[in-house]
Amino acid sequence: MIFVEGQSLERRAQSLATGLVLPTWSFLLLVFALPLLMAVYLSVRNEQIGGFIPAVFIGIENFRSELSSPIFWEAFRTTFIIMSFGLVLQVPIGLGLALALYQQLWGTRFFRSALLIPMLLTPVAVGLMWRFMFDTDLGVVNWLLESTGFSAKNWLGMRWPAIWAVALVDSWQSIPFVMLMCIAGLAGLPSGPLEAARIDGASAWQSFRHVVLPMLRPVLLVTLMIRVIDAFKLFDLIFIMTNRGGPGTATQTLGMLTYNTGFTFLAISRSAALGLSLVIISLPIYFLWRKASGGRR
Amino acid sequence: MNFLTYLKHVRIGRVCSYIGLLGAVLVSLFPVYWTLSTSIKTRVSTFSIPPQFFDFTPTFKNYVQLFSSSDFLYVLSNTILITFFSTLLCVIVSTLAAYALARTKRFPSRVSLEVSLLLVRAVPTIVLMVPLFQIVSVLNLYDNRAAMIILYAAVNLPFAVWLMTSFVEQIPVELEECASVDGASGFQILSKIIFPLAVPGMAATMIFVALLAWNEFLIPVLLAGETAKTLPVYISGFISARNLDWGPMAAASSLAIVPIAFFTVLIQRRLVSGLSSGAVKG
Repeated sequence: MIFVEGQSLERRAQSLATGLVLPTWSFLLLVFALPLLMAVYLSVRNEQIGGFIPAVFIGIENFRSELSSPIFWEAFRTTFIIMSFGLVLQVPIGLGLALALYQQLWGTRFFRSALLIPMLLTPVAVGLMWRFMFDTDLGVVNWLLESTGFSAKNWLGMRWPAIWAVALVDSWQSIPFVMLMCIAGLAGLPSGPLEAARIDGASAWQSFRHVVLPMLRPVLLVTLMIRVIDAFKLFDLIFIMTNRGGPGTATQTLGMLTYNTGFTFLAISRSAALGLSLVIISLPIYFLWRKASGGRR
Repeated sequence: MNFLTYLKHVRIGRVCSYIGLLGAVLVSLFPVYWTLSTSIKTRVSTFSIPPQFFDFTPTFKNYVQLFSSSDFLYVLSNTILITFFSTLLCVIVSTLAAYALARTKRFPSRVSLEVSLLLVRAVPTIVLMVPLFQIVSVLNLYDNRAAMIILYAAVNLPFAVWLMTSFVEQIPVELEECASVDGASGFQILSKIIFPLAVPGMAATMIFVALLAWNEFLIPVLLAGETAKTLPVYISGFISARNLDWGPMAAASSLAIVPIAFFTVLIQRRLVSGLSSGAVKG
């Protein structure tokens, strides 16, 4: 009797849960699954808005032509360059700031609040403001460079400076996130191994390098995965700072290329193929993420 | 005795930490200060070289100009409306799902839901935009505020579910077991126990989702025209003008970012605990 009771309770909980996730499922199907399926359909055809040729099924032709186009590979490289510049800046600085805050020095709460502020600011507003600051003639960045003896740069008008500028501003906004993750990671560290290191006479650097860093590895890995995924999603800042990937195609990432192909050149089938390629490229990172987070969720 | 005591021990470490923190705060806050100060400068001060950091006469001309255009007021109220309702929708839907995920270890669609939620977070929104544009056009919902609310809620949903799940998990399960023993129904447990205890987490999730909705750019820039225009799209509109009008642009940007800065500081504690417990565990 008790057994039956337990079973029915279990079943009741199951049906309740199934009902509770129903709204979430409908959103996922309507706003993600349906568009993705439509993208697959579009990607094997040659639809072009305002095109004269009637659209037909052309198989993987879109993918083949994209993969053999230098523009695609340039965008691919740009995406990875911006991503790597960003990660090289974000991870060490974020970790460093987290360590500085971790000591609970006087004023830590003020510092933490102030440092978190850039994280959630409107990317469009941030992009415009930095665009103003990076202005060649009137920008405060060039003024600072010139008054400290460096030479002014045409930041947003040349390939490498523009890539640097975008990576810098993206880092400015994401370092707080990396810092936050590291703070949480540090807070969760057990004190046992550190005490052991102290008794063995390890210096601060040694205990950081050989005790803290290895224990922080899982947190750092998850942070890295999230930042890589975010780098594939980076859009607003580039849209605003360099007018959709300029100068020319210097800061045109894969996401920006997908946008320009679909909404500037109206080649919606090619845009869908590009978008799906972008998903396929970022998919391995998803599996790494799943693995790094212990396969849970 | 732990790692922080070591760092504190070394005076050089402490001095370096302060220098690093002060430098970082300066770099973090300067662009915000620069936006605010540009918004209250005259055109001449804005373009002066060397830049006028503090020694300028403040003027509120830019704000007056902004608020005297009915255009801007409409966009502002639109943004508030869309942000509010999409956030409400998103948080309600995500709380329900979060409860199921946090409390019921096995149910039919659990694994596929978890996988989908994570996968979807890895999909750049731009990939969905061409098909969404077609769907919205076919349904005659282009430039429609209700459509914006649903789309906004949907794109923020995976993140909200993830955050809410970590908050629900922090509520002790024993409370529910007691209520269950006392004969409360599933719905009663949800409304009388989980809901009240989940309020702080829901509030934090709400603020977080509201900030994301407030900042959303890709959806309104492509799927909205004049009727459903939002603040980020309005701000980006300053670019298309031949001469960038920095003063009013800085004023509009200030109005966009000041509330965010305020709320970020307000929820920082929850930000640390929610984001990290969710992220670190998975």
